[in-house]
Amino acid sequence: MADEAKKKVPHKKLPKQIYQALEYVVGKRWISEKRSLVETYSKLSIEGMTYVRKHMRDAAALPACVVLPNSTEEVQGVVRVCNRFGVPFIPFTNGQVFCGTTNAEPTVIIHMSRMNRIINIDADTMVATLESYVDYAQLQAEAMKLGLWNGGTPLATSLCKLSSQFAFAGLWQTDLKYGLLNRNIISVKMVLPDGEILETGTRCLPGAGDFWEYGPGPDLMGLQRGGAGSNGIVTEISVKLHPWVGGTELPEVPAGRPSLADVHDPAYDSPLPPDNHRLYWIEFKDLETEIKTMREISHSGIAIGLNATGVYSAYYCSQTQEMTWERCKNKFFPDYNCYVIIAGITSARQIEYEEKVLKIIVERNGGTFLSEEYKPEVLEALKPWNLDCIRHTSGFRMNRKMYASAWLPVGPFEVGKKTQQFWNDALNAFGQCDITDRGGADDTPFIYALQRGRFSFAETDNYPDPTNPQEITKAAGFGIYGMARLVKEKVCPCLMAFLNVEPLVTMFPEVGPNQHLLFQKIRKVFDPKSVNAPGRQVWTEEEWKNTPPQLKGMVNAMRQMVGLDKVE
Amino acid sequence: MVLIRTKVSPMTIKKDDKKVFERELEDYRDQVWGCARCNWCQNQWGWSVKSAEFSEICPAFHEYRFFPYSGMGKMHIARAILEGDFDYEDAPELAEFIYTCTTCGACEMNCQRLQDKEPLKVNEALRARLVRDGIGPMPAHQTLIKSVKHYDNPWMQPRSQRDKWAKKIILKDVSKEKAETLFFVGCTTALDSTMTGVARNTARLLLAAGVDLGTLGKDEICCGSPIARVGDRETFIALAKRNADILNKTGARKIVTSCPGCYRALLHDYPEVPGAAPIEADILHTVEYLDLLISHGRLILANEIPMRVTWHDPCHLGRHCGIYDAPRNILKAIPGIEFIEKERNRDQSWCCGGGGGARTAFPEFAAKTAEKLIHEAKTTTGADAIVTCCPFCEINIGDILRRSGDSMKLFNLVDLVAQAAGVNEK
Ligand SMILES: Cc1cc2nc3c(=O)[nH]c(=O)nc-3n(C[C@H](O)[C@H](O)[C@H](O)COP(=O)(O)OP(=O)(O)OC[C@H]3O[C@@H](n4cnc5c(N)ncnc54)[C@H](O)[C@@H]3O)c2cc1C
Ligand code: SF4
Ligand code: SF4
Repeated sequence: MADEAKKKVPHKKLPKQIYQALEYVVGKRWISEKRSLVETYSKLSIEGMTYVRKHMRDAAALPACVVLPNSTEEVQGVVRVCNRFGVPFIPFTNGQVFCGTTNAEPTVIIHMSRMNRIINIDADTMVATLESYVDYAQLQAEAMKLGLWNGGTPLATSLCKLSSQFAFAGLWQTDLKYGLLNRNIISVKMVLPDGEILETGTRCLPGAGDFWEYGPGPDLMGLQRGGAGSNGIVTEISVKLHPWVGGTELPEVPAGRPSLADVHDPAYDSPLPPDNHRLYWIEFKDLETEIKTMREISHSGIAIGLNATGVYSAYYCSQTQEMTWERCKNKFFPDYNCYVIIAGITSARQIEYEEKVLKIIVERNGGTFLSEEYKPEVLEALKPWNLDCIRHTSGFRMNRKMYASAWLPVGPFEVGKKTQQFWNDALNAFGQCDITDRGGADDTPFIYALQRGRFSFAETDNYPDPTNPQEITKAAGFGIYGMARLVKEKVCPCLMAFLNVEPLVTMFPEVGPNQHLLFQKIRKVFDPKSVNAPGRQVWTEEEWKNTPPQLKGMVNAMRQMVGLDKVE
Repeated sequence: MVLIRTKVSPMTIKKDDKKVFERELEDYRDQVWGCARCNWCQNQWGWSVKSAEFSEICPAFHEYRFFPYSGMGKMHIARAILEGDFDYEDAPELAEFIYTCTTCGACEMNCQRLQDKEPLKVNEALRARLVRDGIGPMPAHQTLIKSVKHYDNPWMQPRSQRDKWAKKIILKDVSKEKAETLFFVGCTTALDSTMTGVARNTARLLLAAGVDLGTLGKDEICCGSPIARVGDRETFIALAKRNADILNKTGARKIVTSCPGCYRALLHDYPEVPGAAPIEADILHTVEYLDLLISHGRLILANEIPMRVTWHDPCHLGRHCGIYDAPRNILKAIPGIEFIEKERNRDQSWCCGGGGGARTAFPEFAAKTAEKLIHEAKTTTGADAIVTCCPFCEINIGDILRRSGDSMKLFNLVDLVAQAAGVNEK
């Protein structure tokens, strides 16, 4: 488009009176409606259609203003102003999954960036209490000093704050032993959309302590967690800690530290694992054997983490984009593989014992350990995982292109095979967006063994070119097709509550069934004025009216494609 | 809904052969759309995080807490400007977002490593764009630029002052006779009265080690680094070309400089200037050369300096140019010195706040950033002194220590080496 033909994207601001009321709460320094500032709170990463809207110059993607509260009381103040004037607000930590519609009215972003303190780590009850901007790396670093840790980290260790994960996901390398974040939350302090404070678990009685997730009455925390967003704003979150035997800090990489001149040298990506931890890589001949072995390892009770990485290794372990692409193309990493993390928590002999068990299981199933003798160059390239298996850092390389849509089905280990089959069908129907899209079709999907192997999840994703709206739209289509296909085939389509993203909640009434009707009632109770996080969880009728018909059309097209009825 | 079959696209980033100083904002389009919002430009590299308090890395975001101050924010602003989403309706604030960056390169380090993108280069292209469109640089930077144009230094000092520091030292004048090593002193070290002692100690040390040393005297001109950093490409390119010719004409085989800004400019920026002659000499920072001379026994450090110290990695020396070990080797070679590492160090070091024109335009922010550095040095090392080797860091940190009457001391490494070698200024 020629420059002169481009239209500016208008910025809708709040009426002066409302802006001033917010300014009064947080102070002049901590609120802004400057055009270039709000721009940085708009375009979003994980959800394809928001990119497309950005390409289409949709003004609704821009918030009216951004406020930075510093305490629960200030959050409460902001929320009360929004309530009084009926202005929608969105809690925002990093904006990775700030998905769905930003409604047409001016919206306030409540950025939690000043609430970044660790409030307490209680080594006795093994509970850490954090403000909402505290990330996994910060928590790990402080807990490790006390011989504790929280379990693992999501791929995006420092982007993911535990509060935004409360409202979204919380999947780690060590889910095998420690479970997802939602199995590790003790309590939250939340500001509800009307400004009331909710404290859950034993902390609901001031002074009683913060050690157990259940308080009196129904499980109010359960009602809040999961999905993209919840019924309020988490200002404090308390999580379980577990024993940590890997030293007070993660070990330094033997090669030292890079400079900008040699930042891509793989030597800097070759750490050793922490003390008392070992990482094993195993190759299999096919998905069947991989899954069978993973099931047996999980059920044997050994190991803290067990996952198959597939094509993702090409991202995590490659220092440049070109290298990632080359390695995908040349299938440098084994098609079927898994890694196992073993920790000597009780004694060093625990490692010895678990290693023996692991070897027996792998041998019985015909797997091969990567070693100095077998594919040493691959083992060398996989070294970033030596620390990433504890604290993901290079993992976010998977987002080097654009992580526009994902399938995250959960179920017994067999779910991996279904994912492979359906993904293949999707590729045949739509074609690829990127060479890596074939991951899971020709090799293993990303399989995490969860909750001691009671079930697993099997991920495949699309990586379109972020500058190409057509390709992004296609990728988004993949995502919706996945939902439809999984629902049709009665495979649980979500990790935490992934369907809690509109328009999928309402347009898949098979789930629940009719979960949207229940959600709408819940939303009315907590958020009578519908000001909280528009576009999250479930839409009101008003929000549905604002939804572009193309989006509904896209979901219905996919429903019909897999043999489900159209939803009106 | 019709799904569109597109061809498989290879990589997002199109790398081209253009030199950095000829790249326009448009050349970064793929990168800015591809910013993953991963946040790693604001935080310590994950494996290096050792505490919650010192887990962040971008001084501007740490202070202001709004995204546009971070590397990520620059990517998103650049994207919107590139796509023509808005005009400069908030020009003063926009300029503040773009110019509070100290060009420390921490965002670039972590983003390159993780996402293969260049938020600092994007910010420098943004600065160049703002200069082109009359919004940048900040008014305070205009003085620097004018000064460089008129006096060949950013400090409004007449050319005659440039070699005053060397009055009592006999050095070759390379415009008259050849010297194997050229000491490129740098404007701040040569002209700031608090820094001229470092220039003298450098010369004394090199002479004591038997180095065949000369200077350009009054003919030395600004390397252009401060001008490059604030986005005045035209002035910088002219300066770089001129300087490259002057330096090559000396026929020196080595160029040694005291200033990490000059060092980075000569080593990394000049080769990125279209039309600038390649510099023929080897380029060394003083600490690199001193480390060599000490390890070869050409400088003997016999005097004890009983002190517990920590090292501050100047961004342009460490992150930008990879000189991490030389100063540490030297500190460990000085008898009596107990060296303790700060929590954030080397590639993940905390900037002092003095670079990129930030101190000139936003002195309060620069001061706060230095305060944070001093606080980290105290709480994570218990050291008596911070040692560094950059005139900008030294002036910025030194100001805070003086103002606050803090007991923490500050040394230039060259002065400590001169003391240990017994050649320092009495
Ligand atoms: C490449 C990639 C890899 C990923 N890998 C993983 C992984 O391994 N494991 C995993 O679990 N997740 C993973 N994620 C998803 C990740 O969980 C989310 O991206 C992350 O939680 C988002 O954090 P954020 O700060 O950007 O959230 P935001 O987008 O700011 O917030 C997420 C949601 O929570 C709401 N919210 C934010 N703060 C609060 C609060 N204080 N109280 C209430 N609601 C709030 C927001 O309104 C929004 O709806 C990955 C994402 C990407 C892009
Ligand atoms: S590190 Fe790079 S890709 Fe990640 S948010 Fe920062 S600028 Fe964007
Ligand atoms: S160069 Fe330094 S100050 Fe500038 S944005 Fe990057 S990290 Fe922040």
